[in-house]
Parts: sequence; structure tokens; C-alpha cells
Amino acid sequence: MDKILRIDVGAEGGPKATAGAMGEYAGFAGRALTSAIVSKEVPPLCHALGAENKLVIAPGMLSGTTGAMSGRISVGCKSPLTGGIKEANAGGQPSQVLARLGYGAIVLEGKPKGDDLYKVFINKDGVRIAADNSLKMLPNYDLVAKMKAEYGDKIACISIGPAGEMKMSAASIACTDMELRPTRHAGRGGVGAVMGSKGIKVIVLDDTGMQMRAPKDPEKFKEANKRFIEGLKKHPVTGQGLPAYGTNVLTNILNEVGGYPTYNFRQGRFDGAAKISGETQAETETKRGGLATHGCHRGCVIQCSGTYHDKDGHYLTKQPEYETVWAHGGNCGISDLDGIAMLDFLDDNYGLDTIEMGATIGVAMEAGLAKFGDVEAAIKLVHEVGKGTHLGRILGNGTAFTAKAFGVEHAPVVKGQAMPAYDPRAVQGVGVTYATSPMGADHTAGYAVAQNVLKVGGDVNALKPEGQVELSRNLQIATAAIDSTGMCLFIAFAVLDQPETFQALLDMLNAFYGLSLTGDGVTDLGKKVLSMERDFNARAGFTAQQDRLPRYFKMEKFAPHNVTFDVKDEDLDKVFNW
Amino acid sequence: MNDIADKCPQLGLVLSGAMLPRFFLLFQQGVTIRARVGCSLKAFLLEELAIRQDAVDKIQSMFLDGRPVDDLDATMVRDGSVLALSAALPGLVGATMRRGGRYASFRQTISYHEEKLQCAAGNGRVRIKLFNLIMRELGPGLLHRGVFMRTSDLMNFLSGQAEDFWQECREVILDGMPSDAGRLKDGTLLSGHQKVIFSATL
Repeated sequence: MDKILRIDVGAEGGPKATAGAMGEYAGFAGRALTSAIVSKEVPPLCHALGAENKLVIAPGMLSGTTGAMSGRISVGCKSPLTGGIKEANAGGQPSQVLARLGYGAIVLEGKPKGDDLYKVFINKDGVRIAADNSLKMLPNYDLVAKMKAEYGDKIACISIGPAGEMKMSAASIACTDMELRPTRHAGRGGVGAVMGSKGIKVIVLDDTGMQMRAPKDPEKFKEANKRFIEGLKKHPVTGQGLPAYGTNVLTNILNEVGGYPTYNFRQGRFDGAAKISGETQAETETKRGGLATHGCHRGCVIQCSGTYHDKDGHYLTKQPEYETVWAHGGNCGISDLDGIAMLDFLDDNYGLDTIEMGATIGVAMEAGLAKFGDVEAAIKLVHEVGKGTHLGRILGNGTAFTAKAFGVEHAPVVKGQAMPAYDPRAVQGVGVTYATSPMGADHTAGYAVAQNVLKVGGDVNALKPEGQVELSRNLQIATAAIDSTGMCLFIAFAVLDQPETFQALLDMLNAFYGLSLTGDGVTDLGKKVLSMERDFNARAGFTAQQDRLPRYFKMEKFAPHNVTFDVKDEDLDKVFNW
Repeated sequence: MNDIADKCPQLGLVLSGAMLPRFFLLFQQGVTIRARVGCSLKAFLLEELAIRQDAVDKIQSMFLDGRPVDDLDATMVRDGSVLALSAALPGLVGATMRRGGRYASFRQTISYHEEKLQCAAGNGRVRIKLFNLIMRELGPGLLHRGVFMRTSDLMNFLSGQAEDFWQECREVILDGMPSDAGRLKDGTLLSGHQKVIFSATL
């Protein structure tokens, strides 16, 4: 991971690849690297789909090693959805493979001269780029099948579906999983549209002949990794809850507390919640011969994913995540688990962010394009997007765009990006993060609950209301740091409760790179990343006014607890005071 | 309440333990039990539901009437209460739901706050919801104790069961007397009764 591969898609004669040293970016990886490159090299006022924007794909610090949970890949650019900086990350195999091939990042830059579509193949011998217009408008599953036929089954793919080619703001970038299926997506912010604007359909990675990345101190690394795994396995969330039910275990809970946004964020409870819960999903998967416990990449010990089979026992999609089940489920009034699984498959196949699409369909239902609860209508709407009909072009550009097109007041977005599955009126601290994250409404931006270990910002009395702002700040710092390591965010549960597990993670990083990183160093990294991102957004024209929830969240009471979002604006403005 | 309950028929099934997952949807939606109420949530769990202290400790998130609970001693269970129990949960929001957790302020506007620490002790009905790993741990005990159901709801549940459920059903007992599974399946066994106390021994 000592070089950056830059592909100038606007070069004479077609895209040209150049590998160079990490240079000033040495020591950065994952989100830290994508945000550093975007912040430094992309003019903030550029058009997100134009020549000046860059798409940066970066594995994490420990990707490509034997370290557990190290397979997240970060994708960064200026977002066509939010107009600000974006980092979206995904699991799957590409991070491990790209790191073993020695690349710290791939940067797609420039603007294609024609309308040819290109595929990029990278292996130990170098990089081959070829036009292949037979790939045009291929959905992700068909595309990957074609790549498998051409390059064999030892590959990993990073690709876009038709939505990315059509440069839709809800377009994702797909990463293949261990079974070579395009199920893991860098979903948020329209990163797929930026890849589409560069004319690159797929990046095929083959690390045959490459070795695992070697630590500076192999024995210490091995021992720390062992402690890290033990910590994950003994923790009740990472060792039991997540493997058994996946993230969708949250459906019943959010519904119970009245924080489950239902019917386009109109109420906090959904009558059909138990029918689409993680518990029901796991039983359905097991009964039909699928898997309720499965990893998304090699080296995963949490195994929070699974495979979902249809009624006839045939593979339909990977286990849909909580946010997906919510977006297409309760948010649209749909309690048909098979229908939701089909929507998940379609999103993956066309290359769409499941949160953005679910929220968009909720708005479309409010606009009267379909009735809440009509799963067939929802499926039809996603097909409209995949086919690129006029209606599909509207929907494919996301929740805010669709709300504007159809005159819907209730667009649950921040900075143009749809809110995920936790209503900020019921769980107000999450609303602070939705409002202030440089990424737009993003539940993962303040996900890493490691504040008590990192002690960022000092000790906070979290039981007091004013603690929400401080906590949101600290959580965003911790998350930015973990995103930069390339570790799965779910490790944060074990790190929260078990300081020795956090120490094991630090020991892994230190043994691998020969560092003496402490908790303070991790905090500094998180702050640095957030500062770069906030600075980019400021230069792109963002002010405090963009760090707000839509006004109706302050005005309209949310049942069953009849709460509104009551964190003051002046408090939101303090989140990044450090 | 007692009068109505006392007139209800008591239906019991003896089933293979493999049938436990068939009840998971019921547990998630909630089942109603008859219980002594007017006590703290802690006392209710330990004494009325007879859950061991170490098992209570594993129930990291509890919700009373749809609100996250922080203090088991300062929370009262009343007639008509709805109690939901969950094991450890993922995600930031999962962590905010923990009892007395560090992130409780994130959901302070919906947290459970007891207004009166005293209420009349007596018999009552409590709706219990079990989620995730807690279903496997507490579900069998709850079924064995017996739950109060509308007969139509029970029949909907039973009619949705595949044949293997009935093959694994070793006994059908109505008010202490062995009964015919066929009559239960066709609805005649419970006809005329609007409500039933249903139990299952797994």
C-alpha cells in the first residue's frame, strides 16, 4: 500500500493509468485518505459530475493483512447529492485485494472525451484498461457474471449499475462479497454517479500471486489480533446479537420506543414491525436454507450478514440490513419481507443506495404515486429507476429531488441526503449528528461509541440533556478515526465496553506500522479528518444553516410520544468547537 | 379481570422443544399474562416472573409502555402495563437504549420517568414482549406459565402451523383433561369461548 494509482479518464487515446508514491498522503488510509485527497485536490465549487471532481477509492490501514474486521473500503468525492464532501464505505472483498496489490488508493480523475464505457483490470502485473461497450446498462449481477467468465473466480469487483451510468444522485458503488456477488455497497451520496461520470463501469481486482501484507512486528501483531478477536467474540453484541440476527435486530426496538419512522416519518410505530424484524428474518432465512449468520468479507469474525432465499429456496439477495428493511418496509408501510428482499436485490442490481431509495419511495407514496403498503408498486417504481424512464430519473435523484418534483413538503433530508432509520425527534442525540455531520443525514457518522475509552472532549455527563452535543462531537471524531482504519464500525460495540479490546486494536496498528499510537493519537486523527471535511464544505458554500434538520421536525409532534426535535440551533453550532 | 380469567378455559399443549421458534412472532407482538402488579419492575422480574438475577443482568434494554427504562427499582409495573425485554443491541441507537447507559441522554425525551412510586398492589394483566436472544431464554417459561389470549388469535396462530407442528404435539389438554388435537385444529374444542389461557410445555 505504498502507491496511488491515478487514472486520467480524459487522456488522449482513452484513460491512462499512472502509479506514483503516496507522497504527502503517506500514513493516510480509508476515510482519512479519501477526504485528504478530495479536500486538497478537488475545487469545492466544481460540478460533482465534471472534470474537476475526483473519485478516490481507498482501503483501510489494516486491509490486506490477517487482521480481523479490516475489510472496509472508503470511497470519496464531492457528492452530487449533497454538494459537499462525501465518504461512503463498504465491506466485501475489494479492500483486502486492492491492499494486497499494493495500492493505497485508486483515483479516477478528468472527464472522458467520448461516450465509451471502460473496464479496468488490475493484477500483480499492472493495470489494463479497455473500452467495452457491451457492458452498457448491465445490472451489477449480470456485469459481475460477465467479469467472472472473462477473468475467473479469483477476482473482486468494484462496479456501478445502470443508475451510476445514468449519473443518478442515489447511485451506489458495488463491491463483491466472498461469493463474488455485488452485495456490498458504498451507498450514500451518489458516489456511483461520479464513477459513471468518469466512464468507468467496473474495476476488476485479482491478487493472485500476491502475499498478505506483512507487519513490522509479526509476533506482536498476531498476539494483538488474537486479543482483538477474543474481545469481539466475548462481547454480547458482536459475539451473540449481531451474528444471530444481524442489524435488523433493531426493528422491534425502534418500533417499541416509538422511534421507527413510519409512512414517510409521519409516526413512530408500525403495526407490521414484527413481520419484518431481524428475528423473523433470521427464522425465514434458516427455514428456507439460507444463512442467518455470515460474513461479508474474509477475516470477519462478527458475521452479521446472511443470505436470503425466496419461497422456493433459491438465492434472492444478501440479508438486508436494518436500514434497508426500514426504508423499504415501515417507511413505506410495507410488511412483506419477501417484497423487501426483492427491493434490496433490485437496489443492488441497479446500483442504488437502499436508504435513499426507500426514503424516496416514501415521499413518492406521500405524493400519491403509490399507496403506502403497496409492495408491488414500490417494486415497479424501482424498475422505473433502473430503466431510466422520465419518472425513474426523478426518483433516482433522491428524496429531496423527488419531493421538489412532486410538491411534497415532508422531505426527511439534511444537506440533501435522506435520513436513515432512527427518528431524530425520539432519539434526539442522533438528530444532532444528522444535522451537523459533513456528510448529510448519516447514522454512521456518529456510530463509534468509543467516547469513554478515547476520552475525547473530556468526561461528559451523558445523562444530562446538554451532553448530547458533546457526545455527538465525540462520536463523530471516533467514527472518523475508525473509518480511517478500515475496520468495520461494528467493532465499536466491543471497544465501548472493553478497554482491553480497544487497546488490542491500537496494538495491532502499532505492531503493523511500527508506531506508538495512543488513544489521543486516534482522537487527533478523527479531528483532522472532520476538520478537512468541514473546511471543504465551507469552501463549497456551506454555512451553519445547512447544519439543521428540516423545520417540520421542530414543529410537528411525533407519535406515540408526541415529541419534537428541541435541540437549539446555538447548541448545534457548538458541535465542532474543539 | 379475575372473574373473566377464571371462566376462561385453560388449553395446554406439550410440544417438542424444536417448535419454540414457531412462537417467536407471538413473543415479538406480545403476550398477556396474569400477574401480581403494583410492584417495582425489579421485583416483578425477580419474583413474579422468577427470572434469576444473572438473567436479569443480561436483559440490557427494557421498555415499559414504550419507554426505555433506566432504574428498575424506581419503575412500577401496573395493571395494563406493556413490558418489552431485549438483550444487548448493536449500533449507537442500540447503545442509547441500554439501561442507565452512557448515551441515555440521546433519548431523554422518551425515557421512562415514574410519576408515582406507589400504586395499589394486586392482580392484573401485563403484556410482555420478548425480543431477540431473550425469546429463547424466557420464552419457554412464559409459555409454560400460560398466556391470556383471544381465542380467535390463538386459532389464527394454530391454523398457520404446518403439519410438522401437529406431529410434534404430544398432548392436548383442556382444563386438565386430555383432548383431541383434531378438535382443536377444526375449532370445535374452543368454540363458544372468546378468550383462553393458553400454555405450552416445550
